[in-house]
Amino acid sequence: MVLKRPPDAGDVLQGTLDMLILRTLVMGPAHGHTIAQVIESTSENALEVEQGSLYPALHRLEDRGWLASEWGVSENNRKAKFYRLTPRGRKELASATSRWRRMTRAIDLILGQETE
Amino acid sequence: MKLHGSTDRTRKDEDLAEEIESHLAHEQDAQTARGASADEARRRARLRFGNPRTVRERVWRNRSVAWLDDAARDLRFALRSLARTPGFTAITLFVIAVGIGVNTAVFSVIDALLLKPLTYPDPQALVQIVLKTNQGPFAAASVPMFALWQQQSGIFEQVAAYDWGGSGANLTGGDQPEQVQAIHVSKDYFPLFGAPVLEGRTFTAAEDSPNGGRVTVLSYGLWKQRYGGDPKIVGTNIQIDGQPYQVVGVIGRGFVTDAPVDLWLPDQFDLNSHEMVVNFTAVARLKPGVSLAQANAQMKLVADQFRRAYGEHSLPPGGGFGIVSLQQFMVGDMRFPLLVLLGAVGFVLLIACANVANLLLARASARRRELATRAAIGAGRGQIIRQLLTESLALAVAGGFLGLVIGFLGLRLLLRINPGNIPRITETGAGVTLDPNILLFTLGVSVLTGILFGLIPAIAASRPNLAAALNEGSSRSGISFRQGRIRSILVVSEVALALVLVIGAALLIRTFRKLNDVDPGFTTHNVLTMTMSISGSRFQTTAPVAQVVREGQERLRALPGVLDAAASNCLPLYSNFGMGFDIVGRPKGNGPFTGGAGFYSITSGYFSSFGIPLLRGRVFTEHDDASSPWVAVINQAMARQYWPKGDPLNDRILIGAGAGPAFAEPPRQIIGIVGDTRNGSVEQEPGPMMYIPIAQMPDGETALNSTVAPLYWIVRTRENPYTARAPIEAALRQASSGLAVAHIRTMDEVEASNIGRQRFNMVLLTIFGLSGLLMAAIGVYGVMTYSVQQRTQEMGIRMALGAQAWNLRSLVIGQGMLLALLGVVVGLGGAFWLTRFLASFLFGVKAWDPMAFVATPLLLCLVALLAVWVPARRATKVDPMTALRLE
Repeated sequence: MVLKRPPDAGDVLQGTLDMLILRTLVMGPAHGHTIAQVIESTSENALEVEQGSLYPALHRLEDRGWLASEWGVSENNRKAKFYRLTPRGRKELASATSRWRRMTRAIDLILGQETE
Repeated sequence: MKLHGSTDRTRKDEDLAEEIESHLAHEQDAQTARGASADEARRRARLRFGNPRTVRERVWRNRSVAWLDDAARDLRFALRSLARTPGFTAITLFVIAVGIGVNTAVFSVIDALLLKPLTYPDPQALVQIVLKTNQGPFAAASVPMFALWQQQSGIFEQVAAYDWGGSGANLTGGDQPEQVQAIHVSKDYFPLFGAPVLEGRTFTAAEDSPNGGRVTVLSYGLWKQRYGGDPKIVGTNIQIDGQPYQVVGVIGRGFVTDAPVDLWLPDQFDLNSHEMVVNFTAVARLKPGVSLAQANAQMKLVADQFRRAYGEHSLPPGGGFGIVSLQQFMVGDMRFPLLVLLGAVGFVLLIACANVANLLLARASARRRELATRAAIGAGRGQIIRQLLTESLALAVAGGFLGLVIGFLGLRLLLRINPGNIPRITETGAGVTLDPNILLFTLGVSVLTGILFGLIPAIAASRPNLAAALNEGSSRSGISFRQGRIRSILVVSEVALALVLVIGAALLIRTFRKLNDVDPGFTTHNVLTMTMSISGSRFQTTAPVAQVVREGQERLRALPGVLDAAASNCLPLYSNFGMGFDIVGRPKGNGPFTGGAGFYSITSGYFSSFGIPLLRGRVFTEHDDASSPWVAVINQAMARQYWPKGDPLNDRILIGAGAGPAFAEPPRQIIGIVGDTRNGSVEQEPGPMMYIPIAQMPDGETALNSTVAPLYWIVRTRENPYTARAPIEAALRQASSGLAVAHIRTMDEVEASNIGRQRFNMVLLTIFGLSGLLMAAIGVYGVMTYSVQQRTQEMGIRMALGAQAWNLRSLVIGQGMLLALLGVVVGLGGAFWLTRFLASFLFGVKAWDPMAFVATPLLLCLVALLAVWVPARRATKVDPMTALRLE
């Protein structure tokens, strides 16, 4: 699961990144750099976020009303834009997570049958 | 022009840029924390992030509706680039606007007249019943004919009779009597035409029979204006010609009649009558499933039946009954003129399209370098084509809008010059509106032209042959051969089309001048005419009419500024009655009469008021009244035709013998011969005419006359007749104990309206000719200007090598005039072939009139010369140094 965009990655990967962002923000507001760091570190660096695609995703989510943002001061004492989850974003996360679970379960079932 | 919300997006973009900076700073911090040097940290941060600009572009694109954005940008760019060449833009807009505007206006008129069916329900089934004669079909009927036609229930669902124009009626009972237009109709008239009944009802069968009582149906207009739209008017009495008439109904607004009508009265025919006078007209509605041919075949049998019942002479020899589709009958002789106009419209449209194409091609070839440059720096082929198309579409749409404005104004103008005798255009122009379909059509044509001729150069320009296009020489080596040839062909065809149009216009102008020069046989200047309705029961015998006429004449002659005054039952160039006559003592031929002639009943002073010369004998005086011997005056044409040898003054004539009891009268002595006048129309040669004194009309004829025609007053004045208008009206009101006069106009106006249709045709074709000429000139000018522009370098070299200014000038002029001359030659050929279709519009001019065929090409060459003169001058102004140095 690499977020470096292959030519036809399409919506699945984009949607996945969206979900990861929403999930990260459950812990509290964060700015873009932190979000990237958190995704990378919690996935034990298995997922490397192409930092360039993070921002289009953030802005898309904000345009959809799932995130809200405001400028603040970061832990490094720098100006940074902080994103937080809106109630609609929380709802979206729930449904996206359950979608994801259903899908991975289905994939697991298929893969399981073949390997076992 | 900015798309809505784009400022918001700009702000958000700046926000994002700042955010990215912040991100990079944090990443740099992180890298520094891992021990990288400051420079290294910055490098790594940038590396990990990628290109910030790409990110911003992605966010920007995500926020936009891509094509709309592109379109907005293309449009902005197109407008900018059009604004950079204001001359080109203005000319192209003008051409498109004129093309569309002229077409829309004329099309709208044609559409309303020719293409739209009658405004009555199921108009295909409506037919005009006609009398067929050797002179052609006449829409006329007598009561016995009508009675017989009504019985043909096998072919007709309904048959209705109505008056042609009517005598008018006087609405009395108010402060001042008012003259209104009243016609008599039979009871089936309203249901046949599907007239909407607003209040009350229409005439019943009982009301439409002899002694059916005095009843009337009002028009919407009269009801609104005179009675304030009073809904309780039905059942009340109004005063018409001093008698009470009960209003039984009001007809709704949408009902359109041929000539405006204010109120209707029932015909009340006695269907058993043997009265042979034909003084009304009849229409019928065909039974469903009956064809025109079937009905015509049946009418032939009906004519035979009529002859058997009323005698061999009851119909003219070789004559019979027939039917014609009402629509065709109404627009009848307008069909061909309008189709010619349509052809002219097509020509103008073609010229406009050729012109637009030409201008666009020229523009594209002048921009080849610009386009190639844009392609070289990465504009896709699609982008360039889209860009050029946006420009042509912007032009087409803007031109179309201007065209709409021109069309609207043009239509107003057309209706203003409408002579008023084109059927179904009312004087206010109601019924003719700018037709949206036509507007769409012409706009579609111009947009199509824009796309088509925008596309060819666009595709050519977007060919990836950049090297050649960018290559220094090719930018100024002139128009590429193929494009140059296309454009030359376009210019030649423009000139040819314009020449045909202008020759057509010239022929019509000459026709109009000839018509204007025709001597109608009388003086039209300083003669005022007006009508007085004598329809009331007061005027059913001759004596009271003669009384009013005599008294009116006396009062008028007493007015200052009035030279003479007269009354008559017809007006020359306007109306004419015909009557049969016999010559006493001379055997009749085969027909019912010895001959037929125009028939005017007049007063003394008629000939002097009109300046009609007396050739022999004497004219009527006040003493030729009911108590003196019966007399007649004839015109020269009648004398020549019927007395080629003998002397008419020795003979007596019997007028209208056998036409019915109403016309019974003693023979009249011919007392004078007067000059010929044109009575039907200016174009018609004068025919035989006989005049009798009004005071010597048989009573029955006066009564009949009073229902079909008003009394005309003719006043000859010293100065402008309108200045005497008020006293004239007052005098006539006194003389008639309170009757009003209407339709006041001078004989000059009557004459002008008589040739109004020719004037209408002439003005239209002149407009077309001029716009065609102008556009052709623009075409020649455009091609030569661009050609000179493209050849600046060549001109420079020629000058540097010693060419004189006149060398260059004649080079350019020669080239431009060659195109024009080619066009003239082609156009002359086309005109020779096409003007034959104009032949029926021409009067006193041949279709290949040498004047038109010599003067017009000369005019066109002159205009072309002017059009190439400007670019030719420009060519001589080329400074060799700049021209050569130019890149």
